[in-house]
Amino acid sequence: MKLGHKLSNAIFFLLPAIILIAAFYILPLIVTTWISFTPLRDWKISQLTEFVELENYKALYKFVTTHPLGSLVLKTTIVFVVFTLIVNVLGGLLLAIATYVIEERVSLGFRLLWLIPRMTPLAVFGLIWYYFFYGSPQGTLNAFLLKLGLIDQPTFWGTDPNLLPWSAWSIIIFVNGLVGVSYGMIIFYSAFKSLPPELLIAAKVDGASTWQIVRHILVPMARWHLVFVTVWQLLSLVTSYTHLFVLVDWRIVDEWYGTTWALFVFTEAFGTVKNQGLAAAAAVILVIIGSLLGLLTLRIMRFDKITLEPKGDI
Amino acid sequence: MMGNGKNELMGPLVTGYKSYILIGVLLLVSLPLILAYSTLIITSFANTIVSNPWVKFNFTFDNWIAFFRGELSTTHARIYSTGEILRMIGNTIIVAAGVTAVVLGGSATSAYAYSRMKYRWRKGSLKLLLLLHAFPGVALIVGVYTIYYYTLVKYIPPQSRTLYSFFFVILARASLEIPMSIWILKGFFDRVPWELEWSVLIDGGSRWTAFRHAVLPLVKPGIAAVAIFAFLAGWEDLIYVMIFLPPNQKTLATFIEGQLASGSLETSYLPIMAAAGTLYLLPTILFFIFTQRLLLETMSGGLKG
Repeated sequence: MKLGHKLSNAIFFLLPAIILIAAFYILPLIVTTWISFTPLRDWKISQLTEFVELENYKALYKFVTTHPLGSLVLKTTIVFVVFTLIVNVLGGLLLAIATYVIEERVSLGFRLLWLIPRMTPLAVFGLIWYYFFYGSPQGTLNAFLLKLGLIDQPTFWGTDPNLLPWSAWSIIIFVNGLVGVSYGMIIFYSAFKSLPPELLIAAKVDGASTWQIVRHILVPMARWHLVFVTVWQLLSLVTSYTHLFVLVDWRIVDEWYGTTWALFVFTEAFGTVKNQGLAAAAAVILVIIGSLLGLLTLRIMRFDKITLEPKGDI
Repeated sequence: MMGNGKNELMGPLVTGYKSYILIGVLLLVSLPLILAYSTLIITSFANTIVSNPWVKFNFTFDNWIAFFRGELSTTHARIYSTGEILRMIGNTIIVAAGVTAVVLGGSATSAYAYSRMKYRWRKGSLKLLLLLHAFPGVALIVGVYTIYYYTLVKYIPPQSRTLYSFFFVILARASLEIPMSIWILKGFFDRVPWELEWSVLIDGGSRWTAFRHAVLPLVKPGIAAVAIFAFLAGWEDLIYVMIFLPPNQKTLATFIEGQLASGSLETSYLPIMAAAGTLYLLPTILFFIFTQRLLLETMSGGLKG
């Protein structure tokens, strides 16, 4: 037995992950921070060694405080995060309760159905909502509303100037909510599943109604999970941009009413503007907020208690 | 694991007419989802957009044929050759398979180390992994692209650049999956009893032998689950592929993105896109049908961390 080679053994096993994480997390993070102090534009890499001190941060501050689009990005971010968070947490809880109390076979079907958006390729998910909100009578939403007589004219729901801003905001909340809601559903559902059956049987024997069981057993039991899901989803909503990118890129929603802080970083760096210095400054702000929320989650998770000690180390 | 559940001991909590009402409400809430997905799939086999139940349509394979022939406009002009369409599908598979290989290679041994070994920073780095999983991806991609572009321009000869971009996109995309994959696999390793390895080590075998021959065969379901998630992650990717691969190397994602972002899409052309989208959705659907329990359980385990 190689008793004396503990550390070298561990490093041997950890090496592939260490290399990937160093190359694709640590180094890029340093590079992004570096760029935020340079005038980099259009990926002119010669500018990587020029320094502009805090110019990018100042420009960013000016954009947010004085430019109408800057304050719109902030407003969109807040509306998007707050409402999608409510949808994800409450929706997830309701879905978990509903699928917990019904027959297993039906429940499995619904849980799988609600997982599909999470696993659907981004481009396909964009495509189906393109059809759904399509501005002609053939768009699914228009077709239904016309048939029900609620509207006389088909509408481009996400871009019609008369309906902004809440139309575009509703769509980004709706589409991202459909993806996010399954997270809470899964966490809450497996929390319910870990309840001892005796508890429920006893409650039933004592004549508790389903509503009472939900109200006094299921929800209190998921209290801690609720806090955890809320913070974790908050973090992922603040940083998410891929679904928003597709919605904006394909003009399913108005460009600016669909742009949150995270998407702003992306379009600023890779869109038509290509001002990477400014984008990097905005990214650094995002990293700071993200890290704080991440650390908060770890606290809430009571991380140190749930981590198992390694098994059978010698 | 997911508990032994209530259903073996007692029936569902809600039964009778109340359960029908509840299922009805669930169906109603799920309606947009059901409508949106069925629009896509049915339209791919129809001569028009089947966006609602009142549309009259004829069943046809024309959209699929048109897609594979590259006839992407109403005038049946061939915008792409069949070879180019197959190439897009091939590129999508290359990226997905590459990501799967890198994720497995990058996470399996580490997950074993986290499950079995004691070393400094173990807990700290486990925390770090969780933070990295939730790290703002958009902040990373700016840095990752800069590194890519810098190395490409400075060191890679023009004839090798396409190869380099594939190589880079696979590594970069796979890295995003590494933290969660280590967590998921660690969970599977934790459930394997340790006696088997013990006997290998007692007999003078190395840690590697114990890992490779005693433990790895027992975590096949875990490897399968991580492989499926990694494959789907590589398969579904749009952003990385769009940014890193040269414009002439399309995947199904960037193909669809390119068609829709152009903004000149005609209504009559949407059914062909539906065929492309349905084809692109196919692996996801297959995995759902064949590995539903594994997906659900791994997700709840993996998400719990």
